[in-house]
Amino acid sequence: MHEYAVVDELIGALVPRLAEHPGRVRAVVVRKGELRILSDHALVNAFEILARGTRLEGADLVVETVATAVSCPACGYQGPTGRFGGEGDHFSIPVLSCPQCGSDVRVDAGRELYVDHVTLSDDSTANG
Amino acid sequence: MHDVRFTGEDILARQLELAEANYRRLREKHVRSISVLGAIGSGKTTLVEQAIDRLRGRGLRVATIAADSAGDDDHRRFLARGAKSVNVNTQDDCHLDAHTVDHALDALPLEEVDVLFIENVGNLICPADFPLGADAEVVVISVTEGDDMVRKHPKIFAQTDFVVVNKVDLAPAVGVDPKRIVDDYSAVNPHGKLFLTSLRRGEGLDELLDALGLGCTSTQW
Repeated sequence: MHEYAVVDELIGALVPRLAEHPGRVRAVVVRKGELRILSDHALVNAFEILARGTRLEGADLVVETVATAVSCPACGYQGPTGRFGGEGDHFSIPVLSCPQCGSDVRVDAGRELYVDHVTLSDDSTANG
Repeated sequence: MHDVRFTGEDILARQLELAEANYRRLREKHVRSISVLGAIGSGKTTLVEQAIDRLRGRGLRVATIAADSAGDDDHRRFLARGAKSVNVNTQDDCHLDAHTVDHALDALPLEEVDVLFIENVGNLICPADFPLGADAEVVVISVTEGDDMVRKHPKIFAQTDFVVVNKVDLAPAVGVDPKRIVDDYSAVNPHGKLFLTSLRRGEGLDELLDALGLGCTSTQW
């Protein structure tokens, strides 16, 4: 359950940055690369609990997934990777290798984890 | 309603900065650092124990950071092998973080160290998102955990470049074919390196240490 540690960092960094933005926080939208080993469900649960007593209490945590993209230093390929798994009930994962020539690749997207935006409503008191 | 947009700084930026500081600190002292993680009972501690002996034979001085939820059993084992060691208890935390490693480094005489092993808490999943600042990361699993370990944790293995499959001497007894693990790993990570070991017998360790670049004295890095 390392999601709690991640959400703890998130709240600690976000609250001071919102100080200059009045209003009620409705949603915190996070973008998470698909290579990150973090459960969306656990992130949302952790957020609900750890946000209590902070400016973010009652806001929704929304987790959007960022697909993996790579570039190949050998052949110049840029784009998505091949996948492993995906049959039956198994989800598939990206294979970090060039789908064109098989060389080792650089990961351009898929490892990020950041707050994209926060949605605020203009009143700071109403509940609805 | 209105949106406040952010610059895309990583949520774990503070951790990443601390990890980079650890990395620079170890580099400046010419210490090569290896982070060892893996499931409970896979053989992480035995790997480090054997590496202490083996690297001493190669003229290298080894230090260790031994992390466990509680106790100092691993730490004592490393001290008994003649390594400088720091014990870290993470208590209820399921992973080490860069901040804890920074404090542990304060307690080590880095000028007298060539190679540092950081043994994480026994846990295959949680440590993966917390970089410590080590030069290389080794994931240790064993055949007794089953031959489907890679298939069950593909994301970990897709991003781990050094994998040790330990206790291969027990494979027949537990009905596991190590080749299945090898094949799965090469499918999820075609550029990674996998080592079949029997660490209690010291088998397969030299190949790993060579691949980690721990082949000679510290002047090389």
